[in-house]
Amino acid sequence: MALMPKRVKHRKSQRGVMKGNASRTNFVAFGEYGLQVLETSWISGKHIEAGRVAATHFLHRTGKVYIRIFPHKPVSSKPLETRMGKGKGEPDFWVARVRPGQICFEIGGVGEDMAKQAMVRVAHKMPVRCRFVKRRHSL
Amino acid sequence: MEKTPLLKAIVREHQGSIAAAKLRKEGKIPAIVYGHKEESLAIALDGHTLERVLHSGHRMLEVQTDKKKESVMFKDVQYDYLGKNIIHVDLMRVNVAEMIKVEVPIELKGTAKGTSEGGIIQEHLNKLEIECKAIDIPDSIIVSVKEMEIGDSLHAGDVKLPEGAKLITKPEALLAICSIVAAAKSAEELEEEQPTTPEVIGETKEDESESAEKEK
Repeated sequence: MALMPKRVKHRKSQRGVMKGNASRTNFVAFGEYGLQVLETSWISGKHIEAGRVAATHFLHRTGKVYIRIFPHKPVSSKPLETRMGKGKGEPDFWVARVRPGQICFEIGGVGEDMAKQAMVRVAHKMPVRCRFVKRRHSL
Repeated sequence: MEKTPLLKAIVREHQGSIAAAKLRKEGKIPAIVYGHKEESLAIALDGHTLERVLHSGHRMLEVQTDKKKESVMFKDVQYDYLGKNIIHVDLMRVNVAEMIKVEVPIELKGTAKGTSEGGIIQEHLNKLEIECKAIDIPDSIIVSVKEMEIGDSLHAGDVKLPEGAKLITKPEALLAICSIVAAAKSAEELEEEQPTTPEVIGETKEDESESAEKEK
């Protein structure tokens, strides 16, 4: 089951526009290693779930996986073979809006090699280009 | 720590985002020097040298402008959206013998005993705030986690600080814990937990009020 909110204010939303780069959630905050998104995109709950499964399967309970994005936005679609009009379609799936720089996954409690391999598997599940990043130690 | 590095700086005449962008194109990094109740000074530093100094772990540096030389420490470093390039640096004036409050990163060393039993070390806090002399700021505080077993926790008060340093972070602050990672939930389990459609906040209230009116 893909991720989705428990309660929402509105069932449907307009598409919206995504401009610019991530101005927050753009550094590794919880784990030691992260996966940074390099493109603007929608990432569906199914993609996020696939990434989580790929990472946890690979890590075999040796590390902790943190998911930094959540699909808050509903995407509606019309049923097949339906004529245009008659109002907006029903919500079909949920997406997270990501902009370049956003950290989508983090891993802690494992070595760099292990984290890198896990992140490669997660990146394959993502619909966007990603890169592996390390936590930047504060001054 | 090696000798405090000396960086040559140019005083910035023009400020603002356009002037700063121009400087960055030339390979310079805009910076500001403040503190000690003196006027703040906008300067530009050579990007390559500054990065080298930062990566070598130096906290203190000396900045040489046309008029004078000042002892400063890194207060804040701003990076671009990808976290690759430095875009601005805050430098605070300090006296070498002055006591200052700084955040020092913690390095967890060793393999915990609990890891052999299936546990992992989860880091909750990766820096400690301490008060020490500006000249004695440690690069990092090394903490051994070798003796940690499953269920053990490490607090800020347990850390042995360098001589002359005083802990500012609350001693009961949790640094790390050795715990067993819960088994990942399968897709079926998650499906049972989550509703198929989210509850709409406004609609439920309306429905309730309507039903109450009908009852009346």
